[in-house]
Amino acid sequence: MAEPFKNTPPAPEDKGAMTASNIAAALAGESQASQKYLAFSAVAEAEGYKNVARLFQAVAYAESTHARNHLSVLGAIGTTTENLKAAWGGETFEIDEMYAAYDAVAKLQENKSAQTTIRYAMQAEKDHQTLYNEVLAGVEDGKDCADVAVRVCPICGHTVLGDAPDECPVCGTAGSYFKEF
Amino acid sequence: MDEALEKRLPKPEDLNPMTKESLAAAFAGESQAAEKYLVWSEQAEDEGYPNVAKLFRAISFAETRHARNHLRVMGGINATADNLAAAFGGESFEVDEMYPAYHEIAKLQGNNQAVRSINYALKSEVDHKGQYTDAREAVLAGNDIAETAVNVCLACGHTVVGDAPDKCPYCGAAKDQYRAF
Repeated sequence: MAEPFKNTPPAPEDKGAMTASNIAAALAGESQASQKYLAFSAVAEAEGYKNVARLFQAVAYAESTHARNHLSVLGAIGTTTENLKAAWGGETFEIDEMYAAYDAVAKLQENKSAQTTIRYAMQAEKDHQTLYNEVLAGVEDGKDCADVAVRVCPICGHTVLGDAPDECPVCGTAGSYFKEF
Repeated sequence: MDEALEKRLPKPEDLNPMTKESLAAAFAGESQAAEKYLVWSEQAEDEGYPNVAKLFRAISFAETRHARNHLRVMGGINATADNLAAAFGGESFEVDEMYPAYHEIAKLQGNNQAVRSINYALKSEVDHKGQYTDAREAVLAGNDIAETAVNVCLACGHTVVGDAPDKCPYCGAAKDQYRAF
């Protein structure tokens, strides 16, 4: 699904510290805007505003192009080997540090829904950590991973290679709802 | 979304401040992970790893599920009229505050690529502000917006309701570089 990209995106550059920190903040802002608009699109669709839903999709895509440009300037688009290592590192941080800490706070404060959304994410990040690790070994030898379907639970993000389970082991959603890639 | 799915989603909750801060940070993290994985998917495709590319796309989708769940728990997903107001607010902040400030600093520091990436985003956010204003007016009157294609420049995010121009006015990309929604 890689689309033709004939224009040169803004290139990586050696930046002033304040500019680097601003572009990183802008990446965070664009990424969150994109995700919000995708969620808002689903609401508009459910309310019967299918063209507003489409506008949200289009603008979410525009924000993704900005996020990509900022990432490029930050020098964060590497080779696939480097990208897999960075992806593994991000997942590992979320599992070992971020979600572990947030879960402790949400439990202390007895915020139940927060605990649920943290648990869903944390469980799926463990899937991702393993998958990235397995794939990295192949790519370092110049090999693609196997041509097997990847299936994702639309509720909690549980990610499996191959067939969907009858029921999601994390959130209980029926396997028939899993999205196939 | 059908009810069987909806009941498994974490619900909006009155959050304690520290838990809210945790979820806001987790939302930022998931949103950025989703964007990074999409870009890295294109990179994997370019390097001839179609199955690694597919894995990145699938995991990106999983992260969008986490982002949506966190946003929902924080009460950030509402009726479309409210979502459009929130979207307009976000774009206005970027247009009036964030990008003008970042732009000045990037110029001061002589970071030309950062200036380009900021300009591309700033200009498209102005488009979005106008489009969200029009859409909100329609939705407040109970109407959907017109069923006209929304075209987005895949280089810079220029967003136009109706036909794509022959040449992108912001970055010069050709008409065939627009994606229609």
